[in-house]
Amino acid sequence: MIATIAYSPYPSWLNPGDNTWQLVSATLVGLMSLPGLVVLYGGIVQKKWAINTMLMAFTGFSLVLIVWVLWGYNMGFGNPVGSAGGSGIMHFFRDMVGMPHPITSHYAEQNQAVSGAQTLIPFHYPTATLAYFQFVFAAITPLLFLGSVIGRIKFKAWLLLVPLWCTFIYCVDAFLLWGGGYFASEGAVDYSGGYVIHLSAGVSGFVAAWVLGPRLKRDREHGVPNNLFMAALGAGILWLGWNGFNGGDTFYAGTDAAAAVLNTNVATATALLTWLIMDMGFSKQKKPTLLGAINGMICGLVAITPSAGWVDGYGAIIVGFVASFVVWFAWNFLSKVRPFSKVDDALGVIYTHGIAGLLGGLMVGFLADPGMIEYGASGTASFATGGGGVTPFSVNGLFYGGGFHQLWEQFRAAVWIILFSAIGTFILLQIVKFVCRGLREPDEVLLIGDLAIHDEEVNPRETFAERIGGMGSYDMGDDAEMAERR
Amino acid sequence: MKLVTAIIKPFKLDDVKDALKKLGVQGLTVTEAQGFGRQGGHTEVYRGAEYTVDLVPKIRVDVVVDDAIASDIVETIVEAAKTGKIGDGKVWSVSVDEMVRIRTGERGSDAI
Repeated sequence: MIATIAYSPYPSWLNPGDNTWQLVSATLVGLMSLPGLVVLYGGIVQKKWAINTMLMAFTGFSLVLIVWVLWGYNMGFGNPVGSAGGSGIMHFFRDMVGMPHPITSHYAEQNQAVSGAQTLIPFHYPTATLAYFQFVFAAITPLLFLGSVIGRIKFKAWLLLVPLWCTFIYCVDAFLLWGGGYFASEGAVDYSGGYVIHLSAGVSGFVAAWVLGPRLKRDREHGVPNNLFMAALGAGILWLGWNGFNGGDTFYAGTDAAAAVLNTNVATATALLTWLIMDMGFSKQKKPTLLGAINGMICGLVAITPSAGWVDGYGAIIVGFVASFVVWFAWNFLSKVRPFSKVDDALGVIYTHGIAGLLGGLMVGFLADPGMIEYGASGTASFATGGGGVTPFSVNGLFYGGGFHQLWEQFRAAVWIILFSAIGTFILLQIVKFVCRGLREPDEVLLIGDLAIHDEEVNPRETFAERIGGMGSYDMGDDAEMAERR
Repeated sequence: MKLVTAIIKPFKLDDVKDALKKLGVQGLTVTEAQGFGRQGGHTEVYRGAEYTVDLVPKIRVDVVVDDAIASDIVETIVEAAKTGKIGDGKVWSVSVDEMVRIRTGERGSDAI
């Protein structure tokens, strides 16, 4: 007798719902980069820099993916380089980064995902899913600090900086906070990357802008955006894409994913309106501006990122308001004080990502509501309360009786991220400067922009362009001859 | 023949065009222009950064007419484009030596 063979696309550990949501949310986060940031930044920069800015975003995304599958993913989320145990400083170095190796084999891609990031429950999807999900976060981070360095960084220098930065800064921070590394094991939390992504991008961008020196004087004086439609489109993609950014970081398509999505939107709406009202009430012109609203929106998205599934709806409103309110003052007044006034952070990444990310990360220590259950305990009547001696997983902030512990852990992790990103980025830029013989395009190139670097302009006009060569055959004779032959 | 050139407020173009059509003008050329006079410019704010824009958008109307009606044309444009507020623009006319309709080769007044 021949046994019946039952084929299945699902290994026993795979849950199609979880796998679907994780791939969908990963794709949403990817869309935040391509085309979200591409058109947001491409629209906000002046016309002569649109192509250069957009191409740096596309190349950064591509470079990070290659780094990610060959060694980066396991540096961020694999096994620690050191052996377990130890305390204090030894604990720190043993649990600083994962052992680099590729995830490109058939086994690595299809095997059940395992990571120190999540040890409470097994993942219900393969490594390929988790690796792609974590990749889109790794990819957007350098694209965010691109906003600080546009308008003068040498294109080649960007192509070298991105893989170096991803390897030596991002992967280390990701492991420390997410991959089961030192700060994670000490209790610091970062729901979706307020620290690892936004604070780090803000600080790195600021340091890079300082090392690079300012854009040309003419560009600083004439740097008006070239297309506010594109800025609005990119901003909208960022907002809704953030549903994947925060909604995917429970790693399961459960209740906390839903709460994180809702909280993200609540904080963002609050922040957008806060900035708008500040502009209307307290700016010199007292006018509501689209780009101001977008700044506020980004502050809210960034600030809720470290806490999205650990605060409740009230917390989300407070997070959105505080972040937008504080960053509005920083944007308008701190920017006039050294060192901020002396560093040409072209798109202000230090404010909307750095400061907003820092505020969001610290607010976890105040506002995390232990009733917001990320992972419930089994065998209980109510998912939210736990019981039977099993405690559900949640985070407990100062305002909810959690004491100062969480705030202290959030503070320590922030100090690390700021110092490590700043010093690390400074050192990497010295290496890039040496290899590329400089970090800036020459001034005569900067005066022209896209046309000088790429031979492309963002709105070419056919009337003034005549084909002289290149790919394909265009010289097929004139139209009359072609018609006769037909 | 005279070339009458008017620099007017953009929202006055329809009024000027209609008034000229009523006078029998058969064609004119319109260009979007930027300029400044006594009106001065305005401020724009992008992400908190203030910019001053001292060239304001205007419409330039060029029309070639017979000497006989040139002054009527000028008066008509002035009347149609006037709001009484600063920035209404200018109208001037200069003599035209030659005019050719490209399609037919007609010259002078016939080409108007």
